[in-house]
Amino acid sequence: MSTRPPTLREKRRYLLAKIEPCGVPVDGKDLYYAIHEATTSLWGDVVVAAMQPVVIAIEDGYAILRCRRGTEREYAIALSTITVCRDTRIALRIIATSGTIDSLRDRIKDRGPYVMEGGEVTATETTDNSGSPSVETGDSNGNPSTDTRDCTFDTRVYQIVHCDGHKVDVIEKGFKNTHRLFLTTADLEEK
Amino acid sequence: MKITDACVYPYPVGNSSVRRLALEARQLGYDSIVAVDTPACEAEGVIVLSGLIIAGMPVKDVTNQIKRGKGHGVVVSVQARDNGFNRAVCGLKGVHILRDIACADKYAFDHVAAKIAADNGTALDLDLSPIISQRGHTREKVIHRYFDILVLHNRFEFPLTISSGARSVLDMRPVREVSGFCSLLGMNIQDTEDALAGVGKILAPKEMAVKVLS
Repeated sequence: MSTRPPTLREKRRYLLAKIEPCGVPVDGKDLYYAIHEATTSLWGDVVVAAMQPVVIAIEDGYAILRCRRGTEREYAIALSTITVCRDTRIALRIIATSGTIDSLRDRIKDRGPYVMEGGEVTATETTDNSGSPSVETGDSNGNPSTDTRDCTFDTRVYQIVHCDGHKVDVIEKGFKNTHRLFLTTADLEEK
Repeated sequence: MKITDACVYPYPVGNSSVRRLALEARQLGYDSIVAVDTPACEAEGVIVLSGLIIAGMPVKDVTNQIKRGKGHGVVVSVQARDNGFNRAVCGLKGVHILRDIACADKYAFDHVAAKIAADNGTALDLDLSPIISQRGHTREKVIHRYFDILVLHNRFEFPLTISSGARSVLDMRPVREVSGFCSLLGMNIQDTEDALAGVGKILAPKEMAVKVLS
């Protein structure tokens, strides 16, 4: 089948969404299934058929999504009902809508990858080489690096798994409780 | 307080500290939040109001609980139950919000309760968490119940509040998306703005019906 000329092609819109919590690995296919389930559940098959939701790419913790022009609002509402992607708790924060993928990629560059502001968190210890979860960090080129640190919160020892500005995500040390806690640097400074 | 999330559960009930919830709320477009069982403060530029939720108690005990929280600037919310209980609670002074109406039975909030709520300035909370996290029949039921409440709201004009019921920063939603959810319920932008400002309105001192000038 030959490609349609540009004037006959249907117009599309691209959405940029940030995947939270930062550093959670999300597969494109899993995210597509989650989106499809959420949109179908909220709007029904007919609207979803008209919407044509697609996951274009997942880059640096951001998802680039596509839908037909004019259905962005419905798509955005459906996206905000996503809470789980393959048993992993996530939330999609829509950042921008655009007519081209390139402009969304520029946005990702402008916002930058996850940045670790290492000096802000007061950590009690800095030694852990036992293969436990690591902190997602980024250098000026956007290349992730690894670091592991411990901190104390509410008389328990936690391991910092992600740090971005004032935001600090931690997981309790040990093998029993592996749930994330979402804290700030000020919480960790408090004794 | 123009844009308030009427109920969030910080650590230890939830998995996010109150500061982190406040930080997230600021980024999502809120200027204040009601945090349950947390002292009132200002964190990350967001006003954090102390919230008290009274659940599973008879009216007499509710009155006692309200007396304890009186004068401390606490936002008192009572979990809805049967119709008689809701009518009684809506008429109580000191009850700010009647919440979890979607979990109560079908006729729990009728026109009489709506009239009492409007007269007493008691707000009804629209919790968005079931709309976000539930699917299928459960969500349909909640949306239907909210439609019903909005019909009464348009008739009697009792205040409304909107809450995310967030136990985590992942449960919070931007104001733009809250507006989207409200549009599903048939609320226009003005209604949504009024509902988001609902907590500020119910906490503001009531204007006197007649003002004596001299």
